[in-house]
Amino acid sequence: MIEFHLDARSGVAPYRQLIHQVRHALRLGLLREGDQLPKVKDVVAGLAINPNTVLKAYRELEYEGLVAARPGIGTFVTGTLDGGSLAAHGPLRRDLARWLGRARRAGLDDESIEALFASTFRSASEEDIA
Amino acid sequence: MSAVIETGGLGKRYRRQWALTDCTLSVPAGHVVGLVGPNGAGKTTLLSLATGMLAPDAGTIEVLGGTPGAGPAQLARVGFLAQDAPVYPGLSVADHLKLGARLNPGWDAGLARGRAGRLDLDPGQKAGTLSGGQRAQLALTLAVAKRPELLILDEPVASLDPLARREFLADLMEAVAEQELSVVLSSHLVADLERVCDYLIVLAGSRVRVAGPVDELLAVHHLLSGPRRDPDTLPAGLEVISASHTDVQTTLLARTSGPIMDPAWMVSQVGLEDLVLAYMSQDAGRRRRDHHPHLEVRK
Amino acid sequence: MIWLTWRQFRVQALTAATALAVFAILLAATGPHLASRYAASAITGCHGSGCQSAAITFLSQLQVTSFYPIVYLLGLAFILAAPAITGIFWGAPLIARELETRTSALAWNQSITRTRWLVVKLTLTGLAAMAVTEALSLSYAWWADPIGQAIDLGGSTSLFSGGRFSSLIFATHAITPLGYAAFAFTLGTATGALLRRTVPAMAITLAIFAAVQLATPLWIRPHLIPPDRTITTIDSAALDFGNLTATVVPGQPGAWILSSRAINPAGQTVSNLPVTCQAAISGLKPSSPSQCMESHGFREAITYEPASRYWPLQWTETGIFLALALTLAGSCFWQLGRRRT
Repeated sequence: MIEFHLDARSGVAPYRQLIHQVRHALRLGLLREGDQLPKVKDVVAGLAINPNTVLKAYRELEYEGLVAARPGIGTFVTGTLDGGSLAAHGPLRRDLARWLGRARRAGLDDESIEALFASTFRSASEEDIA
Repeated sequence: MSAVIETGGLGKRYRRQWALTDCTLSVPAGHVVGLVGPNGAGKTTLLSLATGMLAPDAGTIEVLGGTPGAGPAQLARVGFLAQDAPVYPGLSVADHLKLGARLNPGWDAGLARGRAGRLDLDPGQKAGTLSGGQRAQLALTLAVAKRPELLILDEPVASLDPLARREFLADLMEAVAEQELSVVLSSHLVADLERVCDYLIVLAGSRVRVAGPVDELLAVHHLLSGPRRDPDTLPAGLEVISASHTDVQTTLLARTSGPIMDPAWMVSQVGLEDLVLAYMSQDAGRRRRDHHPHLEVRK
Repeated sequence: MIWLTWRQFRVQALTAATALAVFAILLAATGPHLASRYAASAITGCHGSGCQSAAITFLSQLQVTSFYPIVYLLGLAFILAAPAITGIFWGAPLIARELETRTSALAWNQSITRTRWLVVKLTLTGLAAMAVTEALSLSYAWWADPIGQAIDLGGSTSLFSGGRFSSLIFATHAITPLGYAAFAFTLGTATGALLRRTVPAMAITLAIFAAVQLATPLWIRPHLIPPDRTITTIDSAALDFGNLTATVVPGQPGAWILSSRAINPAGQTVSNLPVTCQAAISGLKPSSPSQCMESHGFREAITYEPASRYWPLQWTETGIFLALALTLAGSCFWQLGRRRT
């Protein structure tokens, strides 16, 4: 059974942090198919957070096809994060390096690059959710 | 979801001063509601009205669809934890549990025993000798073991040390998860509430300044900073909560209905604490600006 | 709720029980002796005027003993103090302490209404206060019975002089203690509910109750039932020639004399013994003082309640205090219902 932790200052919404930690555990193999996620009441007892936060995280994971809720019993892992994403890393890394080169030649300094990336990433994420 | 607390123009007066004015709320069920405001803003008054300890001087209030404090059935549905967790100093822990059992037909003895056991409370110990955190836990046990639908807590962690505070809130959240409770808890510290609350009400100067789900409030409020602007030249659809100007720069905390298109503004997220502070420092006068067509207080 | 009332009342109940026990032991240790003294005195088998002198002898001998006077006075003091004590220590904190310590927030948010909470607390504790006071009164009445009988026979000493109508005796015997206890208790509760502070409530309850207890025999009891009036001869009234007041109402044994004065044939009050009769008192004149006064045409005007009015007066006075108690209790409910804080 994995254990959640929360970084209150990270600026990342708590439910997102929980989702990240589940995905991370899946990638590392700490969670396998059929394993049960911690019960909501145990998570909130450990972290002192709102149960709706945990429910929201579990619902989103279910929407992504990674877990399934069995009412009255718990939430169980049904999917995996396959290595397919790893294969895509190489080309993505090369594209990113090229883009970074272009940004520098355009005259952006480090902070401008980070700001540009952060705001684009955020609005893209919001569009995904919406 | 139906409302756990529904008020219309609620007001309460002490002698000649209004402790609560024109309070209109519709608090949904299934949430942990944080009631924030400075001391003296009317938080305890509002919670006392909700439990029936006080009667309104103006307006109406309904809790779980019934009149607060009106009869044993209504009292059984609402649990209350008063400020500083008052207990009977001469009665033991076991006596308090017996009190709960005798005075509440819906008392869940197994739940009470289990909680007391987990909390390591010595049944024979006089409640007057318990620490602040233990008293709070005992009072919480009493409030929760009668199986209410709504739990109201008045500044439950204000006088607790950080460890006791965390343990109390964790315990409270566990009870919420297990029993599907709705909770309303008040505090004058936002930090206490940030972890646990998903619905926020800000009370300042005896009035409700803002109320709504935390996610939504954080999504529609932004911090905007940009070159100095005249207040009249601000874009439409922007409700300014607080503003500060230097000779060259304007910084606003605003509520927006859509995305900010003007590239001159740097837009960033607002933290819950900054949001609350902005509303708390708002004057009633500055709220009523003509060209902000949106409602000031959202139900 | 009954359990909670008892649990909160436990210490006070134990204190009261201890006090009652001590009192009972004291009475039980000395009562039988008193009764046998009475039986052995000349009062047994006396007739006529011999009874009065036998009674005086009995009481005088009693007065010089070391502990009978102490127990006599202590008992009266206990019974008079009991309503005040229960009013202050049981009544005043009932609501005020809960509000002061804010345990009211705990008690009134369980699944019972304030009304039910108050009904049980008031009734049980109030009845306990009444029972304690009445128990003291009844046990004392048993103990002091010989003394009371001697006084009824006309006996009187400086200490043992109160007949059943006298202020102290009337207030400590029969059923009046019940009324006082109920009144003091509900006065305490109502004051506590109004002031919301225990200690000021205790002080004010004591002050008001003491004032009422002083005022009742002076101004209230004499007017409860309109008294009878009569005009009698000086001789039959057995005048006390010091202040010219009657000590006996002829034809009305055991009556309660409210006031009496000597009047001249014109009906005016005579405040002083005529000079000519003063010599009669010292025995210098052959005629008795009564004959002397009657020769002047003086008579005695007496305002009194006949002995048969004892129980009506007891019921009336107790009824008034019980009614006051009910009103005060009602005010407590009203106070709680207002829900100001």
